[in-house]
Amino acid sequence: MLFNRFKHCNLTLLLCAALAASIAVAVADDSSESAGNSRSKWVCDSTDLCLPEKEVLSAAVVENNHHRFESQRDCRLSCGKYGSIWPMPTVECTLSNERVHFDPWKVRFNVVAPNPVTTQFLRETNRLFVSNLLKECLRNCTLGSSKEVLVKAAVNDSSLLLDWTTDEGYMMVVRTTDAVTFVDIKASTVYGARHAFETLTNLVTGSLSNGLLLVSAARVHDRPAYPHRGLLLDTARNFMPLRYMRNTLDAMAASKLNVLHWHVVDTHSFPLEITRVPEMQQYGAYSTGQTYSHMDAVNLVKYARLRGIRILLEIDGPSHAGNGWQWGPSSGMGNMSVCLNRTPWRNYCVQPPCGQLNPLNEHMYAVLKEILEDVAELGAPEETIHMGGDEVYVPCWNHTDEITTEMKKRGYDLSEASFLRLWSQFHQRNLQAWDEINRRMFPSVSAAKPVILWSSRLTDPEHIEQLLPKERFIVQTWVGAQDPLNRNLLQRGYRLLISTKDAWYLDHGFWGSTSYYNWRKVYDNALPVAPRAASNQLPQVQQAAQVLGGEVCMWSEYVDQNSLEARIWPRAGAAAERLWSNPRSSASLAQRRFYRYRERLIARGIHPDAVVPHWCVLHEGQCL
Amino acid sequence: MSLAVSLRRALLVLLTGAVFILTVLYWNQNVIKTQAYTESQLRPHAQKDHQFIPIPLEKSWTYKCENDRCVRVGYHKNGQDAKRVSFISCSMTCGDINIWPHPTTKSLISAHTLRFSVEDVQLHLDSPHREVCKQLKLSFDWFLKQLRQIQRLNYAVHTSEMPMAASAASGGSESASRLRQHNTDPDVAETPPVASLFGATFSSHRAGDLESLQVKISVHKSGELDFKLDNDESYQLSSTFENRRIVVHITAHTFFGARHGLSTLQQLIWYDDEERLLRTYASSLINDVPKFRYRGLMLDTSRHFFTVEAIKRTITAMGMAKLNRFHWHITDAQSFPYVSQHYPELAEHGAYSESETYSEQDVREVNEFAKMFGVQVLLEIDAPAHAGNGWDWGPKRGLGELSLCINQQPWSFYCGEPPCGQLNPKNNHTYLILQRLYEEFLKLTGPTDMFHLGGDEVNLDCWAQYFNDTDLRGLWCDFMLQSNARLKLANGNVAPKHVVVWSSALTNTKCLPNSQFVVQVWGGSTWQENYDLLDNGYNIIFSHVDAWYLDCGFGSWRATGEAACSPYRTWQNVYKHRPWERMRLDKKRRKQVLGGEVCLWTEQVDESQLDNRLWPRAAALAERLWSDPNDDHDFDILPPEVFRRISLFRNRLVELGIKAEALFPKYCAQNPGECI
Repeated sequence: MLFNRFKHCNLTLLLCAALAASIAVAVADDSSESAGNSRSKWVCDSTDLCLPEKEVLSAAVVENNHHRFESQRDCRLSCGKYGSIWPMPTVECTLSNERVHFDPWKVRFNVVAPNPVTTQFLRETNRLFVSNLLKECLRNCTLGSSKEVLVKAAVNDSSLLLDWTTDEGYMMVVRTTDAVTFVDIKASTVYGARHAFETLTNLVTGSLSNGLLLVSAARVHDRPAYPHRGLLLDTARNFMPLRYMRNTLDAMAASKLNVLHWHVVDTHSFPLEITRVPEMQQYGAYSTGQTYSHMDAVNLVKYARLRGIRILLEIDGPSHAGNGWQWGPSSGMGNMSVCLNRTPWRNYCVQPPCGQLNPLNEHMYAVLKEILEDVAELGAPEETIHMGGDEVYVPCWNHTDEITTEMKKRGYDLSEASFLRLWSQFHQRNLQAWDEINRRMFPSVSAAKPVILWSSRLTDPEHIEQLLPKERFIVQTWVGAQDPLNRNLLQRGYRLLISTKDAWYLDHGFWGSTSYYNWRKVYDNALPVAPRAASNQLPQVQQAAQVLGGEVCMWSEYVDQNSLEARIWPRAGAAAERLWSNPRSSASLAQRRFYRYRERLIARGIHPDAVVPHWCVLHEGQCL
Repeated sequence: MSLAVSLRRALLVLLTGAVFILTVLYWNQNVIKTQAYTESQLRPHAQKDHQFIPIPLEKSWTYKCENDRCVRVGYHKNGQDAKRVSFISCSMTCGDINIWPHPTTKSLISAHTLRFSVEDVQLHLDSPHREVCKQLKLSFDWFLKQLRQIQRLNYAVHTSEMPMAASAASGGSESASRLRQHNTDPDVAETPPVASLFGATFSSHRAGDLESLQVKISVHKSGELDFKLDNDESYQLSSTFENRRIVVHITAHTFFGARHGLSTLQQLIWYDDEERLLRTYASSLINDVPKFRYRGLMLDTSRHFFTVEAIKRTITAMGMAKLNRFHWHITDAQSFPYVSQHYPELAEHGAYSESETYSEQDVREVNEFAKMFGVQVLLEIDAPAHAGNGWDWGPKRGLGELSLCINQQPWSFYCGEPPCGQLNPKNNHTYLILQRLYEEFLKLTGPTDMFHLGGDEVNLDCWAQYFNDTDLRGLWCDFMLQSNARLKLANGNVAPKHVVVWSSALTNTKCLPNSQFVVQVWGGSTWQENYDLLDNGYNIIFSHVDAWYLDCGFGSWRATGEAACSPYRTWQNVYKHRPWERMRLDKKRRKQVLGGEVCLWTEQVDESQLDNRLWPRAAALAERLWSDPNDDHDFDILPPEVFRRISLFRNRLVELGIKAEALFPKYCAQNPGECI
């Protein structure tokens, strides 16, 4: 079917190509005078710099065996061990200096997959791959005499399951014969295969004449260092339109990040539609235009999946919950959230507006369960939830008579320990609800899913073991790199997600005494390592990765759609390489690949921040 | 015969229109029915005797003015008879006048506001100077164009980018810009183009309170259209309401003052999304004059290239904020994007690519555009330092080395940042080329009494490799004096009254005559040079790195070396900075302060971040220099009033398509004062 359509197009394409070629020749003739220096050949020197031939000649280091490339980007494709592949492959990587000149419309695909769903998935992957290839074209993409490129992707696993156990590794071989270039991709899951396609786009660049250039021979064997490679996006402080969410997912896909941690609601607003409780959105959204409908979210989850990305929803509580919960009193359900929008805010919360769920209100639990039900419905059967749990401000509860009276009635004193107990019971109870929902909704998923909580006073190593069982709670820590918390929790056998506050908080540097972390700092942030003995405390399956990975965090107090992309990108890409490859080398060795990665993001329609003067990108090694 | 045909045609058109309207109305009616049905099915809490929640949800709240603060309250609680007040209408009528920068002398506005449509606006020009009238007409056309955009009548924009920007912009209660599945409100169920089509042709024109809004602009005193430092920028704006007619009088001595008046008027008008009409005050009286004459914004287009479109967008925003000098740092050592008529070789060798260049036509276009917004374009070719790429073709043409140390390594020996390059002070051709460039600039931007020569960060070690002069600083001084002499020649043998240079080691000596030279101080605000320069009698423009450098705070862009000037300057930092107060300048020295400028160096900025790096922070400077509000409460915390106004100003920028950065969570914009 697909093939047929191509045949039909062929005639017109050929005509177009001929026309375009003749125009291109004319244009090239015109500009050859002024663009004279860009016409010179490029070579990759012994220190892996791509330099114009004449510069290397004058330095008298050029040898005859140096390959000549038509452009800097062409040179970059295979200069250095990893060429321009971002993030760098972990097991094996060899790239040839030869190129194949080809037309992206003439790439043929062969999919070998065990069942229709995986076949369908790979076909979609092929489509996305071609559209990404087209974005690399400098001039016209069509080429009269293109080499044929045959891509074969073979996958063993018949499931589309995507979680921390998914094998995302792949093996890719590119070889070229006289007539054809073969790309052979082998992966156990479709997600491994899609990462392979992502790598394949990194082996391609636009040719100065029409068409594209592909590294003619390559062997890449690759698998990620961490199974959880995430980006947190807060859409509650400021709303992010869906278009920008999709852009973010596109850029994540280009970086092989695999988890979008969607901090969808907070005290400030509740933009997500809960079909079972429409009041949440009606009371909580900023405006009608600034909402996500249930279908929006479902579609976004699908969009992400096709790009190998999980969407992990966070419903933060008991703190960070306010607007959206106002309707309790008017519908006879009492105060579900307390301290709501109270002023002066400094007395009731850490950041305005205030709001903290009322852990002693039964209706609140009922509503929350409905919300969890909606969330479970949105995601894949294996997907879990982030329950928030950070920054509970005890004075809020302590200043609310309704709560203190009830606590006394139930035999609590008003000590901090009591409040912590109350708080942990809140999470335990929601966990039970979550389990019940999942058993009902997804009877095929046998094991109870662990849920995620932020580190907080509740996760203090002193008493976490009494409050939160390690089999059920994964802790996302957001402390500084030097903080002992990670080590302590790992020793106690907890599984962690790392969001290093002094390296991976992308919102820092624009408020208070925080400072900005440039991409080098983001890149160089090594994750803590679990002590060997500690993981024995966990069941066998969970031992593999006690540090599941990490997330860069984009809190949106001072960011909305106008600066979102520049704040996240390309820095999140630096974290992506840390999480995928966990390199031993520092950012300095990655910079030229990184600049190329940034340019690819731009080609794909993302607006990343600039990191160096344009001159420094064009003149490698001159701006050290 | 032909009459009959055209009549028949008109009838047909009318008929089609009527059918269309009826269809739309009928369709809406259906939507309401089905939606109401499905809703009761879907909502599990419906049986709990729930109060009706209006949809779209912003209609569920209204704003009340309490102690000069707009407070959001639930609308359904108020009973249905009181009219809903949109956020912007409350903001504009609650408390002090809500414009940015704040007027300096007098501002009175009536509490009574009236609705109108952009079609009702008329212009009357009253000036004996024909050229002034022509220029005012151009400015007014832009004023109307922006009003149309604010009223969302701009179909072309509307269908693409605008709804998004608009919905982000207005504080609490924009009309639904996207069709949502549960929009049952008949007004909102229409797709946006239909809504605006209706608004434009039927309802709005009829529904307004006005027959016309007449803008009468009088400029009598001066026909001056050239930018001078002493341009009188004051204006008076007064409006009165009579017989369904508002008459706005803008009176000024010059075009420049009148233009500012127009900009103020634009901020006295807002789009009420509840009424879907523009609103303004029934009467107002504003007397306004800036505190400082030089209110600048500098953009570096050499480290990264910026398109003419992006520059124009920046100038639009400058006009809104009443900034009046666009300092265009057009070249540097990295690249030379300007295509000179006399020396196209400069761009051929120095531009990043063929497309990343400015032609003469581009510069002229920017200049003409800027004039409509009362903004002077000041072009700077930095010299002798910061000039490398683009200057390397001298030997090939037999002109000798025009620039030295080009791209020399290790760069840290020969310049402040890579790549190096410093003009050859002993090559007459270098000066000749500069003279030609100055000539072209003056021709493109028109006569002026101000010119920027650059002149910063000379690295004497670079020159020391070539010359064995003992006094290399003297060489630098000679260079500046020589290029100043060339400037005079380029300017028809008239020396511009004010020649600006960056502060440097050279300006600490008395080599440059203080009668003509103005020093743009970019060092730290506490440095001794601030005092010395004033003592030495120089006029000064402040661009302190620790307050008004907008590029700071993004870490070091090189692998080595520390971050040049972290941290990031927040808009509050920019706003709070008042060097003339901190330095306790006496009256005489205060007079030497011409004004200030925010600088955006673009090592780590390219076009896609331009707007959010500049705005709203440059606006903070604009108010500092225009109104220079007193810091009664020591400014550790800015008064809530400032937050309220800048938040609205930021929304206005977004409304016009400028991608300004967010000031705080939107909750804080919707609930003024709650987050402070």
